[in-house]
Amino acid sequence: MNLKFEEFQKKNISFEELDNIRKKSFQKFETQGFPTKKQEHWKYTDLKNIINNNFENLQIFKDDKNSPYNDKLIIKNFDHNKIILLNGNFIEANFAFEDKKKIKIKSLKAIFENKKDFEKIKDYFEDDQNSLISLNHALTNDGFILEIEDNYLFSKPLVIYNFFDKAAESKIINNKIFILLGKESSLSLVDFYRCENNIKYFNNTIHNYTIKKNAIFKKFSINDNLDNSYIYNSVNVKSYSNSVYENFLLSLGPNLIKNEIHCNLLENFSSCFVNGIMLLNGDQHHELKTNVNHKYENCKSSQLIKSVLLDKSSGTYQGKIYVDKRAQKTNGYQLSKALILSENSEFNSKPELEIYADDVKCSHGSTTGNIDEDSIFYLMARGLTRDQANKMIVEGFLNEAIETITEPNIKILILKLFNKRINNVNV
Amino acid sequence: MLDIKNLNASIDGKKILQNFNLKINKGEVHAIMGPNGSGKSTLANVLAGRKGYEIEGKVLYEDENLLELPIEERAQKGIFLAFQYPIEIPGVNTNNFLKTSLNATLKFKGLKELDSLDFLKLVKEKSKNLKIEEKILSRQLNVGFSGGEKKKNEILQMTILEPKLAILDETDSGLDIDALKIVSEGVNSLRNNGRSFLIITHYQRLLDYIKPDFVHVLVNGKIVKTGSSDLALELEKDGYEGVSAIK
Repeated sequence: MNLKFEEFQKKNISFEELDNIRKKSFQKFETQGFPTKKQEHWKYTDLKNIINNNFENLQIFKDDKNSPYNDKLIIKNFDHNKIILLNGNFIEANFAFEDKKKIKIKSLKAIFENKKDFEKIKDYFEDDQNSLISLNHALTNDGFILEIEDNYLFSKPLVIYNFFDKAAESKIINNKIFILLGKESSLSLVDFYRCENNIKYFNNTIHNYTIKKNAIFKKFSINDNLDNSYIYNSVNVKSYSNSVYENFLLSLGPNLIKNEIHCNLLENFSSCFVNGIMLLNGDQHHELKTNVNHKYENCKSSQLIKSVLLDKSSGTYQGKIYVDKRAQKTNGYQLSKALILSENSEFNSKPELEIYADDVKCSHGSTTGNIDEDSIFYLMARGLTRDQANKMIVEGFLNEAIETITEPNIKILILKLFNKRINNVNV
Repeated sequence: MLDIKNLNASIDGKKILQNFNLKINKGEVHAIMGPNGSGKSTLANVLAGRKGYEIEGKVLYEDENLLELPIEERAQKGIFLAFQYPIEIPGVNTNNFLKTSLNATLKFKGLKELDSLDFLKLVKEKSKNLKIEEKILSRQLNVGFSGGEKKKNEILQMTILEPKLAILDETDSGLDIDALKIVSEGVNSLRNNGRSFLIITHYQRLLDYIKPDFVHVLVNGKIVKTGSSDLALELEKDGYEGVSAIK
């Protein structure tokens, strides 16, 4: 692999400060390289190996010509606002259902043209131990900043379409997404991926969310489509007083996903909920790593992850709850359950609690096992074939996590995508 | 209907049923009573097709070799086992399960499968008879059900599937008097010339409500005594030891 950074930089010259950040970050990445399993946080996802084995010649994405996106990929029978990214480039935003005065959106490319705008997000370009973050700082070519004013409740969900087409073949595509949700406001966001024609690409996106006092942010990360993509997604959340962050992950499709959610509960009574399912077959490898940092009193967090592994697939859940010494009355909970349906598949679970306060309620649990034969017998004794019984049990098992979704219309959408996938899997 | 000849069943080398013989004709209600560990549940499980037993002997069901049939085919052909301990299956909606089960049977019989609307109508009517609250049917299968609700749910499944041979494995255990009455009424309402029952129980109490044509006493995997429903009363008085000693 030989990423041609100079070429990239020549094309993307802006003001000195940004150029320097890019350069410094790229140097840092070059010294470290892609993460390997020697690093604790990458123990179960040897990215360097995966990249080397799957990409002969990974290159920086540089195609600036925006070919039209395939509008057949837009979700039907589902009222929503949309933001469209094609190969990571911001194409358009449409807030047809909202009061546009309350919403500000700007592409990152536009921000990069203006030093003053850049000041606002400069802090998010800090050095990081994780070389993928350095890489992202160096190579981010687009994304957007979305600001929602105080006291504004979205009337319909917002879908971010992450489309990739043939220009993405063998490319690494880096984005940053910033969302600021004002006080007393609410937003339901669907992060939706689609790639056609089995294009192989690596996408590295960093999300930074700020959720102000009393605001409610619900996010649904949908990776349902079976495709050849390799995705790293890092979500960083700052939650202020009495705010709610919910993140549901539908992790079914791509070859590789590593999702990271770092949620910082910074003020009183803020809460964070992470729930999701993985249903993997073939050679798929998905990981979810969460870091919930209770930094203040009276905050609540809860996580439920259910996974089903078939064939040679592997799944990982690393969930950490950190409780600062000032974070008394913390309520933290996490549970991971996995069904392993093939002897060649694997699931790794690493729950971690790090607690420095003394008045907290924290618990975690993790189970990994096979389908219970008594359950199979019960269903077969009612006339179901073994396949039907298996499927019903697996579906039910995963359904428990889907049931946590609090947005009815989005739940219907997710169930539809989930059913489509499970009907194509031989459980 | 059912003809069991010299049935032997063992598990991990331990003999449970030994030269067991029983014939059930159409429309008959047989009760099998016996002490703990006599092989009652094994009999029920073997008939329903549960794996894990070493089996010898012959079981004819409607002139077919039952032991060769896969589990689901036994069910589709009309054998129903009401479980002693109904299994909790998280995340599986009870109604959805009932519908899938009924349609599997209807499909096997070459009948038209029910759509959701017709199915709900059917369930509504049947669950009303059993005084089952409708809302439990939209809950997860047996999850968080009380002992009584679980057993009633078994009987509901039976009344929906309308089997030819129903095997009730200690359906009375864990039921209070009111629930016992309702469950018995459910069973009695299904009794007819074409349908047979095999009722497995510890106690005579259930047989006050469901009058059997025959009562068998099972001890150490064998029927040691057969009689009319009066035998149940005798058992209540003298205990299993007394009755099996009389032989």
